Amino acid sequence: MNRALDLRCFHCGEALPADPVKVRIGDQDRLVCCTGCGAAANWIRDAGLADYYTLRQADGARVDIAPGDYSAWDRGDVQSGHAVATPEGREITVVVEGMRCAACAWLIDHALRREPGVCDVGANAVTGRVRIGWNPDATPLSNVLSRLAALGYRPHLAQGEAAERERRRERNRLIARLGVAALGATQAMMFAEALYLDTANEMAPATRDFFRWITFLVSTPVVFFSGWPFLTGMVAELRHRRPGMDTLVATSVLLAYFASLVETLRGGAHVWFDAAVMFVLFLLAARFLERMARRQASAQLDTLARAQPALAWRETVAGREQVPVTALAAGDVVQVAAGDTVPADGELLDRAAAMDESLLTGESVPVPKAAGDLLYAGSTCRESAARLRVTRTGSDTRLSQLTRAVEQAQAQRPRLARFADAVAMRFVVALFIAAGLVFWAWWQVEPARAFEIALAVLVVSCPCALSLAVPAALATSHGALAKRGVLALGADALETLAQADTVVLDKTGTLTLGRPRLVRADAVGDGDVQALQRIAAALEANAGHPLAAAFADGAVPVASQVVAAPGQGVSGTVDGREWRLGRAEFACAGQDDGALWLGDGARAFARFEVADPLRPDAREAVAALRELGLAPRLLSGDGQATVAAVATEVGITDFHARQSPEDKLAAVRALQAAGHRVLAVGDGINDAPVLAGADVSVAMAAGAPLAHRSAGLVLAGSALMRLPESVALARRCRRIIHQNLGWALAYNVVALPFAALGWVTPGLAALGMAASSLVVTANALRLGRAPRGNE
Amino acid sequence: MNILLALIPISLLLLGAAIWAFLWAVRGGQFDDLDTPALDMLRDEDRPAPPRTPAPPARPDGD
Repeated sequence: MNRALDLRCFHCGEALPADPVKVRIGDQDRLVCCTGCGAAANWIRDAGLADYYTLRQADGARVDIAPGDYSAWDRGDVQSGHAVATPEGREITVVVEGMRCAACAWLIDHALRREPGVCDVGANAVTGRVRIGWNPDATPLSNVLSRLAALGYRPHLAQGEAAERERRRERNRLIARLGVAALGATQAMMFAEALYLDTANEMAPATRDFFRWITFLVSTPVVFFSGWPFLTGMVAELRHRRPGMDTLVATSVLLAYFASLVETLRGGAHVWFDAAVMFVLFLLAARFLERMARRQASAQLDTLARAQPALAWRETVAGREQVPVTALAAGDVVQVAAGDTVPADGELLDRAAAMDESLLTGESVPVPKAAGDLLYAGSTCRESAARLRVTRTGSDTRLSQLTRAVEQAQAQRPRLARFADAVAMRFVVALFIAAGLVFWAWWQVEPARAFEIALAVLVVSCPCALSLAVPAALATSHGALAKRGVLALGADALETLAQADTVVLDKTGTLTLGRPRLVRADAVGDGDVQALQRIAAALEANAGHPLAAAFADGAVPVASQVVAAPGQGVSGTVDGREWRLGRAEFACAGQDDGALWLGDGARAFARFEVADPLRPDAREAVAALRELGLAPRLLSGDGQATVAAVATEVGITDFHARQSPEDKLAAVRALQAAGHRVLAVGDGINDAPVLAGADVSVAMAAGAPLAHRSAGLVLAGSALMRLPESVALARRCRRIIHQNLGWALAYNVVALPFAALGWVTPGLAALGMAASSLVVTANALRLGRAPRGNE
Repeated sequence: MNILLALIPISLLLLGAAIWAFLWAVRGGQFDDLDTPALDMLRDEDRPAPPRTPAPPARPDGD
């Protein structure tokens, strides 16, 4: 049984490589995937925090082997606007990646508190934020952050102090509203109870009125303070002439409240203050749960888009200086080290370089550039350092253009006619017309009862159940989705997900793991494969090549005089011997066969096949999607051969290679024009416009922040099977919403004629209102349970 | 029934006190994170001094 578990890294839960690292935790040897995770696990054990492994509910994040450089964070110009002075020193709030459960927050709290110079730590697993108070004289901030990164939690700058405070305040206000609603509603219920128990009408009118006025007093803050979001929502909806859910809710609450006030004033037979306040409480709770589930998702993802203090090396007369990217201007000369990101669009100076533009184009093979060629901001400098003259900065760069494309596509996202809103709008109008007609009819027949009966019509058909129908179902489904590691960011993502009939998939990082791995290593003749592999790793590591990690992690010999030949390979000296690694004709004067060869320029020593492996459940997930009636399509920026191979392997017949972000978006638009509802799945910045333009989109959590921002849902784990599961859940959710709406409408349609005929006593009206709301809520709660059978 | 005239104001006072206490707790950040504190009590605090080294060198124990 433990076999399957043993194949995954003990720390981060990813698949183990062929030669895993052993770590002793407690009295057992555990296997981890790399030295990064190993170091983190060792540290956690040595710090006496191994309880983390028993407390946690989700796997940790994979730890980078090479720790990041956080020295830029110590600069005053980076900290300004983010850190504030406190009596003990300074305080900053950072967003961290990979905080997945309360145990992570616990681990961060305890680990950082042990760092010298740290005076206060507050990690919050819900928002993914860590508040760090430190003494700048005792320790630089970068030390603390390196500790954080060494445990697998990469820190990023949060939005800035003011925005953070506003975020906290808004959340607290919502909690305060909910608390006041809960306390006020229970109290109002107690007073209303006294009135209900007076079944024989024996209470003196004075006592009865006293109770009514007290209930009025207690309900007023609930309706107007706690219910404020609904009231402002109604005003906004009415101003845009689009009455929707908030209008419906606010109408019901105000109706019950003012009807009761009128009855109190004229000494009528019944009041419904309790119904008004309970209703506010239920709806606010449903809204709170749904909001929190979504905000938790966006709090962690949204801010990552403007993360990392971005600095650049600018050349000056005296030498070079480090400046924030925003300070760059056209004409500046900037130096980019190998492995660093280009800060602005510019012209390459001096010598040729290879640029990794995968962020922009999705093409994972570095593009060779000659002097004078244009380099794009956001691409990564491979193999050797480069100098460039800045031509465009900030919002003029290609990267920013892509970002704008995302925003435009988002604005043009086809909005579905929202069924519930449309129903609600017509219902409210019809309700008032019906009440008016009833009042008029009774005025002709029996003017004394006209007001009372019109009121009964309004109360009995008060659209409580109708307005609970949708939020209750949405709150439960969001909770159920979050439990499976799917975070819904958009409010209407679920609704659209249920209607999708075509799914557009990206290859790299979506169907595949997005990390190249060594799939096959052969020594030529009787060489030692392990030793040759380490030599290859040494060459690659020095060249800062993305493939380096694929070769080995562990002890790697040191290579010297490493020179990269763009598009060919690398050469260098290891253990006093010259080696070449790359295409066959470069490494060993052979024929190029797509594999990597290690040689000395003439003789071949080893052949390596490197590939980006498929996610283990990719095939299964595609089959499940097809079973749900979604036609899968593969659109990738990669070459024809690779895309075709992956498509056949997962069972997709409809695939397109060499697609730019614009091509992909056009393809999606064409599908939409043909009447399809498109679900897009992707991970990179190059997918962002597609994700934003599709009817509904899912981004992989490991992907680019910009992709997250444009997606409706984010898949937190690495399991692709969650995708069909979410579609199935969204469909069940839609079915339940329709059932609820049907039930609520049927109840109203049946009850209205009885009330209009004057047969419904006010007590009966209150009972019916509560019962129909309960039925709707109970029906929605079914979504939280596991689906039966093969649903 | 006159007792009501005393009891109801008292209940209103208690309600006011409860709401005040709740708002005070919200402002004090008591509701910021509801999961982590629950784990804190499961462990003793008196552990040996923290290791000062940033991170132990990567040493694969396997061979």
